[in-house]
Amino acid sequence: MSNLEGQDWVYSEKVKDHFLNPRNFLMGDESRFDYDALGQVGNPICGDQMRMYIKVGHDKKGREIIDDVRWKTYGCASAIASTSALSEICKGRTLDDALKIGAKDIDNYLGNLPKHKFHCSVLGHDALREAISNYRQKSK
Amino acid sequence: MRFTDIARNEWCFKMVYLDNAATVPLLPSVRKAMHETEEKLFANASALHTPGHLAMNKIEECRAVLAELIGAEPNEIIFTSGATESNNTVIRTFEGHQIECSPLEHHSIFEATRVYKGNKLPKLYSYMLYNNETGEKLEFPILDNESFLHSDLTQALGKVEINVNRLGLDYATFSAHKIGGPIGVGALYVRSGVPFKPLLIGGNQEHKRRGGTYNTVGIAGFLAALEYVRDNKTWEIYDESIRKLRDTLANHILAKIPGSSLNTDVRRGRSLPNILNVSFKAAEGESIQLYLDSEGIIVSTGSACAAGDIKPSHVLMAKTGDAEIAHSSIRFSFGLDNTMADVERVMEVLPGVIDRLQKISTIKRS
Repeated sequence: MSNLEGQDWVYSEKVKDHFLNPRNFLMGDESRFDYDALGQVGNPICGDQMRMYIKVGHDKKGREIIDDVRWKTYGCASAIASTSALSEICKGRTLDDALKIGAKDIDNYLGNLPKHKFHCSVLGHDALREAISNYRQKSK
Repeated sequence: MRFTDIARNEWCFKMVYLDNAATVPLLPSVRKAMHETEEKLFANASALHTPGHLAMNKIEECRAVLAELIGAEPNEIIFTSGATESNNTVIRTFEGHQIECSPLEHHSIFEATRVYKGNKLPKLYSYMLYNNETGEKLEFPILDNESFLHSDLTQALGKVEINVNRLGLDYATFSAHKIGGPIGVGALYVRSGVPFKPLLIGGNQEHKRRGGTYNTVGIAGFLAALEYVRDNKTWEIYDESIRKLRDTLANHILAKIPGSSLNTDVRRGRSLPNILNVSFKAAEGESIQLYLDSEGIIVSTGSACAAGDIKPSHVLMAKTGDAEIAHSSIRFSFGLDNTMADVERVMEVLPGVIDRLQKISTIKRS
């Protein structure tokens, strides 16, 4: 690795960490993860596309929670970092609670994305909402 | 000693700098010339006193060297603050007239054309000789006797031999920082007798063609860079050794990285020898750029995200019509102090970066 200093980088230290060491990503074929539902938003033509895969379980009170999560992203550094951050934030939360996660939460978690990158974090939570919605459709 | 050694020692010892089409690091002789000028030729070059006159001599020396290098007369050269000003000046000269530019032009021509074009004749054509993103060579349009031709030669200077007469140009744009000179200095070639309207008014400098106190230090740096180009015939070095580096990288990438495709036509005569633009299927450009950056490898991308823009590179869109290709593109641009070790270093890192991005991508690479 280089001897880059964090403040020299275009993004915050936390964004850099999640970009260089993303959490919960799904490498290769999606059959590698036993998921209950997925949500996809964005378009490669616009420069980014995200897919969230959720595995749903139950907590002690019997509420549905996100037991595990994986994601795939075609996108820029902040798109990758946002999806990685979101996967950490949403894990273990009830579905209702996870639906409340907003772009601002991801932005705060990452220590603020540059303004023109804010839309990348919006895409992430849209993908998660779609995954939850798809899960609920399926289990009806 | 390599030109980037000082930055390399400060920041990242293993830096491999491959963004020379954006800016070439200052040549040591340029740095020296600028320091000397700062100390000795500080006076206002427009002044009649001796220190002013000495400063003006330096400026005229630069004018003569550039004129000779491009086959022009010294009085046909106007110094500017850079390529954007040179381009804007030409386009604005034809305010209200028909203006046609190639779809691959720099924004400083594209946007100015949109603002200033009209219906009057004569018509101005603006076609760059080589594109900055792909390195591609453009064909000039065939002109009638009434029309005028401008070419942005920012990328061409120093990379190929230039003769404005043989090229049939009425106007041409040059920039110092693409040949190892300082940022903030450029020049405009204006053939004797063609229409001209100054962009900056309010001073007698440049025979009332460009107002503003002379940037003596910058122009002295430009002079040193031009002398380097002339004395070393840098276009021959680019054509031989730099082309070899570029082509080796292209071959390695195509052979070793699945989903890679060239946006540069590397055949001789089709592109500048130092630029290689490549797209990597399913991997996004800004991510590639920043993963490489974290390993000290410096490149650029045509992805929208990197530029903080909504749309990807208009050049790659015009060339390929495919936004995904544009978003997934990386430009490697070589300079005179790159070596084969740089190519090897890129190939140590790049395949892993692309493989990882392709594996986490929503798009399949094949």
